[in-house]
Amino acid sequence: MKKGFILTLALSLALLSAFAQGQQEKGQQEKTKFTIWHYESANGAMGASWAEAMKQFQAKHPEVEIVYENKGFEQIRQTASMILNSDEAPDVMEYNKGNATAGMLSKQGLLTDLSEQAATYGWDKKLSPSLQTTCRYNSEGTMGSGKWYGVTNYGEYVMVYYNNDMFKKYNIPIPTTFAEMESAMAAFKAQGIIPLAMAGAEYPSQHLFYELALAKADRKMVNAYELYQGDFDFHNAAFTYAANKMVEWVKKGYIDKDCISLKAEDMGLQFTNGTAPIMVSGSWWYGRFANEITNFKWSIGLFPGNKLSPGSSGNIWVVPTKSKNKELAYDFINITLQPDVQALMGNAGGIPVAADISQIKDEKIKELINLFGKLNEEDGLAFYPDWPAAGFYDGLVSNLQNLLLGSQTVDQVLDSLNKAYQEGK
Amino acid sequence: MRERSKGYGIFLVPGFILLVIVIGIPFLMSLSVSFTKWTGVGKPEFVGLANYRSALADPIFWASFRNNLQLIFAITVIPTFIGLLLSVFLFDYVSDTLGTHTVNFFRTAYYLPQVLPVAIAGIVWGWILNPKQGALNSLLKLFGLGGLAQNWLGNPATALNSVMMIMIWFQIGYPLIIFMAGLQRVDPQVIEAAEVDGANWYQKFRIYVYMIRPELLVVVLTSMIYSLKLFSQIYVLTRGGPGTATMVPSYFAYQNFFEKTRVGYGSTVAMIMTVIIVILEVIFITCQSKMTDEGEY
Amino acid sequence: MHAQTKKKRITGKILTLILLTLIMVLMVFPFVVIITNSFKTAPDFAKNGPLTLPQPWSLQAIITFWTRVNYGQKLWNSFSISFSVAILAVLLSLLNSFALGIGKIKGTVGFLIVFVIANTLPQEVLVYPLYYMAKLVGLYDHQLSVIIIFTVIQSAFGTYLLSSAFQAFPRQLLEAATVDGCSKRQLLVKIVAPVSSSTLSVLFVFFFLWTWNEFFIPLVMLVSNAHQTVPIAISVTQGQHNMDMTAASASAFLGILPCIIFFVLFQRTLTKGITAGAIK
Repeated sequence: MKKGFILTLALSLALLSAFAQGQQEKGQQEKTKFTIWHYESANGAMGASWAEAMKQFQAKHPEVEIVYENKGFEQIRQTASMILNSDEAPDVMEYNKGNATAGMLSKQGLLTDLSEQAATYGWDKKLSPSLQTTCRYNSEGTMGSGKWYGVTNYGEYVMVYYNNDMFKKYNIPIPTTFAEMESAMAAFKAQGIIPLAMAGAEYPSQHLFYELALAKADRKMVNAYELYQGDFDFHNAAFTYAANKMVEWVKKGYIDKDCISLKAEDMGLQFTNGTAPIMVSGSWWYGRFANEITNFKWSIGLFPGNKLSPGSSGNIWVVPTKSKNKELAYDFINITLQPDVQALMGNAGGIPVAADISQIKDEKIKELINLFGKLNEEDGLAFYPDWPAAGFYDGLVSNLQNLLLGSQTVDQVLDSLNKAYQEGK
Repeated sequence: MRERSKGYGIFLVPGFILLVIVIGIPFLMSLSVSFTKWTGVGKPEFVGLANYRSALADPIFWASFRNNLQLIFAITVIPTFIGLLLSVFLFDYVSDTLGTHTVNFFRTAYYLPQVLPVAIAGIVWGWILNPKQGALNSLLKLFGLGGLAQNWLGNPATALNSVMMIMIWFQIGYPLIIFMAGLQRVDPQVIEAAEVDGANWYQKFRIYVYMIRPELLVVVLTSMIYSLKLFSQIYVLTRGGPGTATMVPSYFAYQNFFEKTRVGYGSTVAMIMTVIIVILEVIFITCQSKMTDEGEY
Repeated sequence: MHAQTKKKRITGKILTLILLTLIMVLMVFPFVVIITNSFKTAPDFAKNGPLTLPQPWSLQAIITFWTRVNYGQKLWNSFSISFSVAILAVLLSLLNSFALGIGKIKGTVGFLIVFVIANTLPQEVLVYPLYYMAKLVGLYDHQLSVIIIFTVIQSAFGTYLLSSAFQAFPRQLLEAATVDGCSKRQLLVKIVAPVSSSTLSVLFVFFFLWTWNEFFIPLVMLVSNAHQTVPIAISVTQGQHNMDMTAASASAFLGILPCIIFFVLFQRTLTKGITAGAIK
């Protein structure tokens, strides 16, 4: 019976601690608590600059206790509307931009309208109109117009990563036009190397698909596709071209057919371990590559020949309707847009939206930021292909898998994509 | 020989009340949602049987069920069978020849896959089955069987089978543990008597299996239900792809619930699955009760 | 004659060992992969991929993960939840099965069906209603909500398994005891529970491990980082675009270790059964 006694003791302890955790928090209520949530890695560019913002905020409001929680993306993604609909909602938090995420929450009345603050603090001047698209949502939850519900701090875009050493080894010039890109890939293939790192089980295939379509598209099509401003059909010239091009590249061996079961991480690995010299993906890899690639030279460039590229503002700061300290939240957001905080982000490898470029020290990072600036100024940010319809991400993944595999024709795939788009928007 | 004793009912009360609160109410709420169109926040819109009609006409829904049937085989039949063989082998032969510590050691090792968080297992299996650099294909090439190397998870023809193999790996520990616990109950004298009578291993095996019939039935039913509900492994390994090669009903429901925020439709799919599971259960448990009534213990 | 059987014995032993070890390698190989990757540095992984040995061996991933999610706290949360659920659910299963398996009350089959249904409902179905109910009673973001929910879910399985085992319970024991003037409570505590201790241990082990590895319901119910459990902490390594592989492996390694320790400690109870000799 000794065992029984120990068990009972352990159980009571366990239950007690579960109980206690509730009581403890009710006790400490003296200081105003300001809760901030984000889900970027703490030592990445965003995390670092936001930590600085928190420091400055604390200095400005010494009587406030900052409660900062670094969340997991999975939790926010899956339970955001549940949390924001409760008393556990934070005071300010990072959230995903887009109709399916921020748009949806704003439609559900879970986010505070920030239009007034945008004017007062001057955010509407600091952020270019292109970047503002993802900060404003109308009553249908569609981005591009309407009230301000979020404020962004950074940008992201899709470009091309090149393994310079491999290009040099085979005497292939880094492409500046689309034709040069294709001949470079042919040259690599002739050496028995599959040129393009790719993954078909996650987002990379759809980013490439979209990038190719954008070569033949214009802002009007993008707005029709993403913002529903006009008719859109997948059978148009741009996407038909893109689908055919991808099939062609698989046939020529530029894309490995076996990639359809690979995840984005696997694609990154193909690039970093020297298997594939070219990778078409986003700026979010940049910081990692800077840290992790130690044995070859690499560079970046916009997709050759494209005026438009997938890209947008980064995630946005939102103030939940149930936030208990809205004024403090507005102040915090404002601090994150201050030039010195933004410069910190740039120097840490991120892409700030309101920084003074002369304050960025590293040449390579300057290039990263400049390319984004170029896209931004020329109104070249075309957002992402899975945004327009709920659940479209999975539809794109599985349809492109069929395309790459050859188990469905281009027409069939475009049909299926179109159907999913029309139903989901 | 059923004695209806009085006074036992009271022991059921706490468990049953909790069950009603934690499971019953959500079940009823979900049932009512399945008759609506809803995005999870705001007011649901009543649509009657429309969701059910769409579901039954949805080809993805049916594809997911077909896949599920194959998975039942991989999750219920094979691991249970292997579990039976292994558990009797360990319990009877190995504990005599190599000692109980050895038995415990191997039993722990075989149960380990069940302990691994599914998300991580998915990543690791992705590495092992990687078509270019994965361990499996590398091993095949090493042994000169390079011709057999496949894109295991990426080829619709092999994707489901690969998932099945992984599920067998994952599942074996479960029946193993339950059966071995059940074998503790077996009266050793019965086995000794059989040995004295000159029974060979097969006949002894049959005796063992007969004695742990209750555990066997429980394992079969629960494994079947688990395979009908299978979700996390699909989510992590293939997301139902390539195409719909590995789509299963609960992943389909999940897509609708959370990714497409068609909560009404998602509830419908979940309800249909539940109905099927319940029918299976009713058949199973009723048979089980009849069987144990006739058995002599 | 003697030497021959002895030789047969030894070859038998060796063959058995080889067979068992082969099976073990198959079962355990993914774990080895995880462990090796937990000790890798990120550049090493980027260069060499997941299936090589670390060059160099480094504790960095493990330490970074531990501090990033305050792992010690997560360990305690997971432990207190899983342990409470395991004990409470075993107790509840015992009570329920006593009524159904031993007592065979009216409507047993019906009750069993209801209990099994409880275990079969997909969690997406349960989640929204439970979220609303938890908010209502103020248990949202509270570990008790998770404990209560899983006690019910696990005990549904436990009730089923245990009542099935009880249906095979030696009747003579019960009759003998009742004849001796045993009350139902005494029957439960002094006879039924001890005799079925191996099954109870199985339930205890299962419930602890299953609850430990639960992800979805704790994800929904436990909002603040301070209340969260190990599986949620592990998911933190999966970012929006990236997954830090060495961190993910380190998190997996740290996540499995307590389970393995628990299992090794408790599996001795799985082999302690009261043999049928006790009947006599």
